[in-house]
Amino acid sequence: MFELLVLLIKVGFVLNMALVLGSLCTWLERKGSALIQDRVGANRAGAFVQSDRWYVKPALPLIRMMGWLGVINTLLCDSVKGLWKEDFIPEGTSKFLHAVAPIIAVLPIMLAFAVLPLAPDFNLFGYYIHPRVAPIDAGLLFVLAMGSVAVYGVAIAGWTGNNKFSLLGSLRAAAQMISYELPMGVVFVALIVVYGTLDVYSIVEKQGELLWGIVPKWGVIVQPVGFVVLLLAGMAETKRGPFDLPEAESELAAGYFTEYSGMKFLLFWLGEFCEIALFALLLSLLFFGGWQIPWVKLPEGVWWAALIGHIVLMSKVVFFCILQIVIRWTLPRFRYDQLMNLGWKMLLPVSLLNLAVTAIVKVLA
Amino acid sequence: MSFIGFVIGVVAIVSGVCVVGLRNPLYSAFALVTNLLAMAGLYAALDAHFLAVSQVVVYAGAIMVLVLFVLMLLNLKSESGRKLGFIRSAVALVIGCVVLLSALPPVFARFAGMSEVTVSDNARDSEGTVKAIGQELYTKYVAQFELSSLVLLIGVVGAVMLSKRRSVTLQPRAGGLVGGSK
Repeated sequence: MFELLVLLIKVGFVLNMALVLGSLCTWLERKGSALIQDRVGANRAGAFVQSDRWYVKPALPLIRMMGWLGVINTLLCDSVKGLWKEDFIPEGTSKFLHAVAPIIAVLPIMLAFAVLPLAPDFNLFGYYIHPRVAPIDAGLLFVLAMGSVAVYGVAIAGWTGNNKFSLLGSLRAAAQMISYELPMGVVFVALIVVYGTLDVYSIVEKQGELLWGIVPKWGVIVQPVGFVVLLLAGMAETKRGPFDLPEAESELAAGYFTEYSGMKFLLFWLGEFCEIALFALLLSLLFFGGWQIPWVKLPEGVWWAALIGHIVLMSKVVFFCILQIVIRWTLPRFRYDQLMNLGWKMLLPVSLLNLAVTAIVKVLA
Repeated sequence: MSFIGFVIGVVAIVSGVCVVGLRNPLYSAFALVTNLLAMAGLYAALDAHFLAVSQVVVYAGAIMVLVLFVLMLLNLKSESGRKLGFIRSAVALVIGCVVLLSALPPVFARFAGMSEVTVSDNARDSEGTVKAIGQELYTKYVAQFELSSLVLLIGVVGAVMLSKRRSVTLQPRAGGLVGGSK
């Protein structure tokens, strides 16, 4: 019974964290894109609130500030608007699949969070707590599997759109996601060769060691090529940044979610941002030491050390979220043949070569 | 096998019936995806996590996506009017019975308490399913493993050969540079 309670709390925490990171990314996207494009961005909703009610008045400065910062606009107004909009379903298509597609697109992303550790294990009131929902030993592969299941949501969404643009968008998205999964998987294999385990928790723990007694053995130091490949492949997996061919506005209206409106559209939106957060979490866990601080050894199994570790990890995650958003708003979109060339002729051979070199070094050392 | 395993088993059977029963090929493909995912769930319920994840990566993630691709591009209509002939139904019945009969003995053996040691017990004893599978694969079954990798290599080379464009030697047109469609 107690174990079930702990599990439920963990599920709630992880799901909540995914959603909070997702909405944080939404806000960063809105305001960050404005900053990068030298605009002001969302700053109206809630910025001019007037009220004499005694229970509103003390909060007025806070509400106004949130309004100016665009927080109310992105988090409250957008979602309320999505909830109240007409739910449009195109003619001549399966209503069931149309409704199910956004769920299939979001669910695997949420599930992938389940295997990723969020802090070191710790003792609390005599109970040993692992801060992850599903401690399975094939954690890395699970993330990859969920990425490949997410393709279905996109594919079904484009097909139920019942028009050429949507179908083209979904075909592009599916082809892109399948292509870039390969270098991603090979980079994971190289990481597994280096750290000798598939378990993300052990990978993070092993990054706390020092290389030659000087440098922390972070993934980015032992696998620099792998990091670059995974960064590119991961950004292509999220279908954003310079890789947003599936929703190229100038060619395909909005790609695979053209026919979606209201909350269903927002689900795609949410899934995309949660994917950014997931990818940032993956990068910081695999390549930037997770909760490790370089040259600092926190005591093991203490709750405050776990808390510090969690905060360190989250700051790394937020950094990578910001990095992805900056890249997305800085670089122009690829052409489709450039995209495929980059995936198949650049990243895949480079990652294979990286794997071979890693294996040779591992055997010799 | 717990309650969850039972539920997933029901899902697997229902989706399997749907694969055969639904008339729209696209729906059948989706039902097959559900079936494969349910199989992965069954493996996971038996504590074979690595097998479950590989099932999702290989079947649900790679093979079925390609099948869906083709079905979507062809835009097939549902075959509502077509009926199977007598011979086809008979062949299907025979194959189905053979498969069912070959699957039954292990099931009854399980119920009779004949196979007490299950795979999951072995996996739980070792340090995890990944390690157990790897050890078996690279020591006991290394020849089979290499052979299957050879088969895969043949498949890769075949795919490259099939998709390669025929080498056309470009000849200068009869009309020279001004050529074109006259």
